[in-house]
Amino acid sequence: MSEEHQDPQAPCEHCGIFTIPGPLAIQGAYRDITFDPVRDNIWTVSEGIYRTIFVEGKKGVIAFDTFETPGTARAYAGAMQRVLPRKQLHTIVYSHEHLDHTGYAADLGPDADILAHELCDKVVRARGSDGQLPATETFSGERQAYELDGVKFELLYPGPTHGDGNIAAYFPDQKVLFMVDTVIPGVGYTFFPDWHLTPYVPAMKRLLSLDWDIFVPGHFWVTDRRGFEESLQYYDDMAEVAQDALSRGIDPQDWDAVTNYTQKELDPRWGHLFRFDEYCAMNLSRYMQQFLTGGWGIEGNMRVDPTPF
Amino acid sequence: MAEHKGLFTSDKMQAWLADEPAMETTQLSDRVYTVTDGKVRSIFLAGDTGVIAFDTFGTPGRARAYRAAIEKALPGKPIGTIIYSHDHLDHAGYAADLAPDAEIIADEMCAKVIGLREADGQLVPTRTLSGTQHDMQLDGVRFQLLNPGPTHGTGNLSAFFPDDKILYSSDTILTNARYGLLPDYHIANFVKFMRELLELDWETFVPGRFDLGDRAAFSKGCDYIEAIQVASQEAFVEMVPIWVLGAMQGYVGEKLRSQFGDLDGYDAHIGLTSIRIVHHYLMGGWGLEDTPSPGYLLANEA
Repeated sequence: MSEEHQDPQAPCEHCGIFTIPGPLAIQGAYRDITFDPVRDNIWTVSEGIYRTIFVEGKKGVIAFDTFETPGTARAYAGAMQRVLPRKQLHTIVYSHEHLDHTGYAADLGPDADILAHELCDKVVRARGSDGQLPATETFSGERQAYELDGVKFELLYPGPTHGDGNIAAYFPDQKVLFMVDTVIPGVGYTFFPDWHLTPYVPAMKRLLSLDWDIFVPGHFWVTDRRGFEESLQYYDDMAEVAQDALSRGIDPQDWDAVTNYTQKELDPRWGHLFRFDEYCAMNLSRYMQQFLTGGWGIEGNMRVDPTPF
Repeated sequence: MAEHKGLFTSDKMQAWLADEPAMETTQLSDRVYTVTDGKVRSIFLAGDTGVIAFDTFGTPGRARAYRAAIEKALPGKPIGTIIYSHDHLDHAGYAADLAPDAEIIADEMCAKVIGLREADGQLVPTRTLSGTQHDMQLDGVRFQLLNPGPTHGTGNLSAFFPDDKILYSSDTILTNARYGLLPDYHIANFVKFMRELLELDWETFVPGRFDLGDRAAFSKGCDYIEAIQVASQEAFVEMVPIWVLGAMQGYVGEKLRSQFGDLDGYDAHIGLTSIRIVHHYLMGGWGLEDTPSPGYLLANEA
């Protein structure tokens, strides 16, 4: 807990990087968590918007991510206890470094081991966010196999996609792939926050070389290879339409013009997608900016080796 | 002949890339000029023997129009040096069309990104600078190049002209509210780093877009971004649906209207800018650039 939030009248909560005075009631708010089996010993949990997985080991539980607030982290811990009441959480795996997925290990399992890609951990340590714990073990490179508490899985870094050190978890025996904030059912989230659009599609396509038939995303519902491929096709189309819009003189900052162009050019093919009306224009504006400015930073200008895994 | 095309892959872009808009040039001092196409703005300097141009504008056609504007203001003087304010193509993407043989100066991290990007028409710097402050003496012109830390893009350099009391800073503070989604801004230290530039003795502010300003306008720009940072957090805590444009526009827009509603573009941009900033607090900042102790992931790491 940071000093500025030490309010004796309020319940203490880890406050991420918020700087306004507490109490921050939303940080502690409880959310119901649903839990469903995926396959064998893999379970998926969601509070309706965010989604992750946990895995039953021989002796304990491996949790991926922490959910987005201290309150939801505690609800996640409660859900795991309901499903596996005799097993304790011993390991947390960070998908990437963003607080809304991995910000609250201090509330989920403060004594657990934490696995992360080294690029993720660098940012976590530099950020120093209240409630986000640094990794206790990292790996580098693009592929690392684990056999942990009887659970076999691989952690895969396909290249820059979203955030830093964003990894997929591949369970070859169960043919399940889990990856957060990349492929999501429907259109992209708002303006593709912290997406690295130059390497994104080539990096994600590498994961199609693996043998899986269930894909668990970091939001909303579970999908399959077809849903995964359709999502990548949407990104490719967005790149084409963004150039078309610019060639017609549309300014990405002119919200009415971008919205009208989105409805005219993208609705016929993609209007059926979840949240199209909410976000497609923001998606298009972001892609237009990508062509005008170039990719953003080192991660946003990397060229991915498309070699299959 | 086909135009240099940056990162564009579509042939439909050729006419847009070739368009040469009218440029408006204003002389700010004996040696400092500013030029704009109506949106993007830059500066160029009259050296003893040649011209020092900041940036290139954002298409081959605009780069040629920029060159023509320089030639009109300073006839017979060649562009001997280009200084990149930062790495983005819409400002520094087309040196191949502005002055392909000029020396190009940039911050070392800006140069690394440009080297990785390999955009068609964006030339790699020939001289790089590391550190936060550089006292320049180029072709008889004295000025400072300043990199206070990650603000927007990569390796963003401001230029300070102490003799003329002019500050140039591209795509950082604006003199209006037209920030949109704050593309590639690094929120964590942005206002802190920009306020450091207020410690210098200057009177005229040249932004990378739109109209010129003064210290009061610059200071108000810092206040504006800071106020959105606070109001966006309050929106989050009060359970405003932060992913809904209309909801953020309504909440933050009304909260800040009395103080900042007079800024040009306020109503059109406050919702988008708020959505971008609230996600900083939700997600935690983007990359090492956006942390309290900023740094960069290097290419061989990412």
